[in-house]
Amino acid sequence: MRTDICVRGLGGRVWRHRRRETKRSERSWGPSGPAGFGLCYNHPRVRDPRLDRLGELIAGYSLDLQPGEVVRIEGGDVAEPLLYALYRAALRRGANPYLQVGVDRLSELKVAEGSDEQIAYVSQLERDELDQLDAVATIWAERNTRSFTNADSERYGRYLSARRELSKRGWERIAAGDLRWCGTLQPVEAYAQDAEMSIEEYEEFVYSACHVTGDDDPVEHWRGVSEELRHHSERLAQVRELRVVGPDTDLTVGVAGRKWHTADGRSNMPDGEVFTSPIETETRGEIRFGFPGVFEGREVADVRLRFEGGRVIGSEASRGADFLRSLLEMDDGAAVLGELAFGLNYEIDRFTRNILFDEKIGGTIHVALGSSFSELGGLNDSKLHWDLICDLRAEGEVYADGELIWKQGRFLDG
Amino acid sequence: MADSSVERLASVLVGYSANVQPGELVTIEGPLVATPLIAEVYREVLRAGGHPLPKLKLPRELEIFYAEASDAQLDWVDPSFLAINEVADVRIIIDAETNTKSLSNVEPARQARRSRAREVSRNRYLERAARGELKWVLTAYPTEAGAQDAEMSLAEYEQFVYGAGRLFEPDPVASWQGFAKHAFAAKAFLEGVRELRIVAEGTDLTLSVDGRTWEPSVGKENFPDGEVFTAPIETKVDGTIRFTYPAVFQGREVNDVELRFADGEVVDSSASHGLEFLREMIAMDDGARRLGEFAFGLNDGIDRFTRNILFDEKIGGTVHLALGTSYPETGGLNRSGLHWDIICDLRTGSEVYADGELVYRNGSFLAGVL
Repeated sequence: MRTDICVRGLGGRVWRHRRRETKRSERSWGPSGPAGFGLCYNHPRVRDPRLDRLGELIAGYSLDLQPGEVVRIEGGDVAEPLLYALYRAALRRGANPYLQVGVDRLSELKVAEGSDEQIAYVSQLERDELDQLDAVATIWAERNTRSFTNADSERYGRYLSARRELSKRGWERIAAGDLRWCGTLQPVEAYAQDAEMSIEEYEEFVYSACHVTGDDDPVEHWRGVSEELRHHSERLAQVRELRVVGPDTDLTVGVAGRKWHTADGRSNMPDGEVFTSPIETETRGEIRFGFPGVFEGREVADVRLRFEGGRVIGSEASRGADFLRSLLEMDDGAAVLGELAFGLNYEIDRFTRNILFDEKIGGTIHVALGSSFSELGGLNDSKLHWDLICDLRAEGEVYADGELIWKQGRFLDG
Repeated sequence: MADSSVERLASVLVGYSANVQPGELVTIEGPLVATPLIAEVYREVLRAGGHPLPKLKLPRELEIFYAEASDAQLDWVDPSFLAINEVADVRIIIDAETNTKSLSNVEPARQARRSRAREVSRNRYLERAARGELKWVLTAYPTEAGAQDAEMSLAEYEQFVYGAGRLFEPDPVASWQGFAKHAFAAKAFLEGVRELRIVAEGTDLTLSVDGRTWEPSVGKENFPDGEVFTAPIETKVDGTIRFTYPAVFQGREVNDVELRFADGEVVDSSASHGLEFLREMIAMDDGARRLGEFAFGLNDGIDRFTRNILFDEKIGGTVHLALGTSYPETGGLNRSGLHWDIICDLRTGSEVYADGELVYRNGSFLAGVL
């Protein structure tokens, strides 16, 4: 008789989101990952203790998994090592984990060859599944960060918006406190290449940023970070106006009455920033960004912006100026700041073209053009959310209502 | 060569086996090592107007699960598995292993517990499949581990797998349609037969199939395919059979199995290796001592034993019996926790009689019979 399919198990599919253009609570979750072609998997013969610690940190601290909770662990196929580590850690906490593995090549096929209907399709199956989850861990891992560079932008846009539509339900459940989420990253060659490092250097960089390389307890470390960041958030919440002064930079931003969020390793790992959404009409002055602005895989170098009455009134770039202008003109909210943040992870000390790390570089501030966080009081609405990072480590000062609070990349009160 | 074979396999799976229609939700389930085939199937589903939903499995996932899971975790079933069986229109499942023995040391009781937990969902899939609401097809993608079990190089095994699927034929679908005619002719003939007698070296077995339905397998739910099967009358199997191939069950092998039947029950068993396991399985429950299936393997492109039942049960010129549960669509009544296919090569020195008349010799039905 026929061999029965139920004899064999079955695996999962990913819900990864493409993280380039958006951040945290904005990000869309979508399917993923270039195809694994056969023979070249990254299977360490000896388990990397840093990976095991990272898995335990996310299961225990970030997601705080409890016995019986349902957690989906999703990632591209090259995320295999961390998928295993996290899966094991979740099982050990008594949770009910399952894996969803994405292959970017399949999404590329859909965007390249699917009909409009197929590209926009989201199955009921995927929607229903969402409602049954207590937690989701997303592990970013790609074989090629530029695989969509030449995709038809209309088709790709249609695909992204379908995935965002799906993830919206997830964000609603997160906002309601019914679902916990953490995004993290598997060090892979493609990311190392973007960061201009070898894979081993990059692994060390990633695991250091997550604080899982040493002998000390990563959970204790992140609890300490949480306390320290909370202290900054509380103080910043009292401030009406911030003035950032640095090389070619003198920018004043109104933040009165806005809330500050403490990003302490729960929803991202690594983490380490405090951020708010500024008053939409008060930003004025100029700012020059020391690091390239990266949006959907495209770079704009040496961006300078001039603001008045909350809006960008002048922009310059040494490379990609046209692209910069097109982003600013995307919609009405695109020329207004949706975010202002302090990067406070001092184990992240360099630019890697990956916003998960770059926005947290200790000693930087970043702003985002476009959509703001309504939970922090932000009112700006846009399809854009583009983080631009300003390095204040060498010289730079921040004044809060006229008082110096930050110098050379550090808050003065620690 | 390999690449175009993968493309052909994908095209036959989607176009012929699953016959994907526009708007259908099609899961493509398989391990990472099968990604080249998964990608081609995905493309074919798009071309057919379906909505492909890939479900990939990692090689170490189950191993980690069994190493860590508590009883409560063994009893839990993930929502995506449940949802597939409730909602999918088509399931395309790809069997491909990186190590066919990776679970050999897992306690059988833990495996059984996990499968029990999934039984409700499994029954839902069977129900929906029986009602025609869910189409499914199981296929195999050649890997080194599969080749190793089959005792071939990967290149040889690829030739074997794709050859068995008739993918080197100029028009594989036409070839399968031609085969289907042959299999339906076998069904028509066999449904007129009351009693079959198998005679070969060490074998003289008589079984009644009176009134039972024969199911032809023609590449729809298994690919490759090629057999016609039924369930013998539970109380009317008598005589002795010697199995020429190792009997493989749950990764374990039993060699040189001989069974003696009286009134449908196994009354004696012997084996050169693994006899204890064989007897343990036969003693599993009441139904495990009786036959749930009798079948003719009809795929002449499958000419050797590979330790993969997807292929082995279809070897052209063999018959196979299964101890244990039968398939309701054949009219079989036997129920058991066991369904263990054991294969007997009839390609040399063998004869099959239908109601006393010689109809099959040395692996083939005689000319004019079908």
